[in-house]
Amino acid sequence: MNTRNDALVLYGEAFTSRFLLGTALYPSPRVMQEAIAAAGCDMLTLGLRRQNPAGGDGDAFWQILRESGCRLLPNTAGCRSAREAITLAEMSRELFDTPWIKLEVIGDDYNLQPDPFGLLEAARELIDQGFKVLPYCTDDLVLCQRLHEAGCQALMPWGAPIGTGRGLMNRYALRTLRERLDVPLIIDAGLGAPSQAAEAMEMGFDGVLLNTAVARARRPAQMAGAFARAIEAGREAHRAGLMEQRQTASPSTPTLGQPFWHSKP
Amino acid sequence: MNTPSQRRIAVAGAGLLGRLLAWRLLRDGHAVTLYDAGALDTPPAAAWAAAGMVAPLAETVVSERCVYDMGRVALTRWPEWLAELEATELWHRRGSLVVAHPQDENELTQFRRDLDDALGAPPGYRELDAAGVRALEPGLTGFRHGLFLADEAHLDNRELLNRLLEAIHALGGDCHGHTPVETHPGEVTTPVGRRAFDLVIDCRGHGARPRHPTLRGVRGETLHVHTDEVHLSRPVRLMHPRYQLYVVPKPGGRFVIGATSIESEDRSPISLQSSLELASALYTLSPAFAEARILEQGVNLRPAFRDNLPHVSREDGLIGANGLFRHGYLLAPAVVDHVLAEIRDKGERPFAAVLSEAAPQESLA
Repeated sequence: MNTRNDALVLYGEAFTSRFLLGTALYPSPRVMQEAIAAAGCDMLTLGLRRQNPAGGDGDAFWQILRESGCRLLPNTAGCRSAREAITLAEMSRELFDTPWIKLEVIGDDYNLQPDPFGLLEAARELIDQGFKVLPYCTDDLVLCQRLHEAGCQALMPWGAPIGTGRGLMNRYALRTLRERLDVPLIIDAGLGAPSQAAEAMEMGFDGVLLNTAVARARRPAQMAGAFARAIEAGREAHRAGLMEQRQTASPSTPTLGQPFWHSKP
Repeated sequence: MNTPSQRRIAVAGAGLLGRLLAWRLLRDGHAVTLYDAGALDTPPAAAWAAAGMVAPLAETVVSERCVYDMGRVALTRWPEWLAELEATELWHRRGSLVVAHPQDENELTQFRRDLDDALGAPPGYRELDAAGVRALEPGLTGFRHGLFLADEAHLDNRELLNRLLEAIHALGGDCHGHTPVETHPGEVTTPVGRRAFDLVIDCRGHGARPRHPTLRGVRGETLHVHTDEVHLSRPVRLMHPRYQLYVVPKPGGRFVIGATSIESEDRSPISLQSSLELASALYTLSPAFAEARILEQGVNLRPAFRDNLPHVSREDGLIGANGLFRHGYLLAPAVVDHVLAEIRDKGERPFAAVLSEAAPQESLA
């Protein structure tokens, strides 16, 4: 299987890695740098909301991220209305000289669930302004269709609420999204184990974004490597074509020579 | 018996490290000049904003094993030093308590697992049920489980900083507040000119950033409140999926609630978001905090290298000690021991494997 031709294409740009990594919650920047290297990712997300971005006060930390050579994907985490998110996106475009934005509009403070209404409103305006919007959304089909119609050329549905590590909570809805939408879909949020990331990739999702599961592991770099291999394995399995499950066991070797007392009635 | 020859030493930065070093060096018979860019009575230092916890177990969960090993030194060194300062009443070795609300109890499990993984057996904590939590802190009634970390302590840190300054004055230390300096080997530059010393020690924290390309400040916000309605005997950490906050009791019904950790060098006043988080954490510990009065909000920058560990640099005539991050009162004793051994230039330098190492990427940046 030629993996080199299997690029993730977002807004016409090709990325080699299907693993996107968040940059919060690590015990230290050094540990984060090791995790980024082990993940082999091309794209890093970063939050700006609480860093007084207008003053450039986060620059010491952003510099560490720039040194990684990865594409920086600023997010609007912590914004609770379309207006807040739009303002922060405009600021991040100035600061990082990029039209890319991972759009988050939070509807519920406790589980950080996206607000679908504010999200769609903000996505429409930012796309009008020329942003390349990657919206963090729920797995609701109609919301995802609307975001796509609004001009989002990639969507980031959740697997489960942020930071829960619960994996793919609603496989039916996620499968529906995959079947109905012909647009890159990146599972963002809620994954805790590499097996869950592999499953998402096997289902045909185009990428996975992780933060807590890596940053809060006892050894983040080791966990990043584990996820990287799982994401690659899941992707390869998807491309190779998974067999269908069957009702009964079917032996892969002939049973002709098997003594009759080994057969069950 | 050799007495150390008296040297003229400048200490730049009158935060915790600077005061401790100035005091110890004066006691060793050196002539010490202490400089700080801010006021000496209310220093704009991370040490003044801090809550003064000495928590080797809990801090190891969010850092590395060496933080525990260095932190153990603090548990013996602080009582010795406070005895010399005749200030033993500032030291409280009553352990600390870790709790989570019923809906967040997984956070407590995760914390316990991280502690086991970092430190191994025997565990340094005791698991508590609701009655156990109440037995330790009768004011806390809403918790079904908790962890008691007996080997932890806290300090009345502001009073300690005052006492250190008094001791420095009493020993003849030459102190200069509101005097920003630049440090060079064997020399400091003050606003009025250059002054030569046998040795310069730079412990200006975030203020030394021009000398350290990879040093950064990490914003921390705290609230100081007063109430007579709640009594706590020891620091309490509240585990929550997104913020882990602590409350530390201070003399006279005061409490310090901290601290946010934001990757920003913003020194502007506390945000509404942060004050809501801090205040609601406090309120959920005990609703009796509702009528507490907010005395002050604190904002400061924790000086940190890229591994969030302290490092001591050495060249002829200049020692730099920096990067204590969020572990000032926990790690200062080990760092001071190390710097003093470096100055005496004999015997083993404690924790050289960490402290003598160059900070990561510092030489490349």
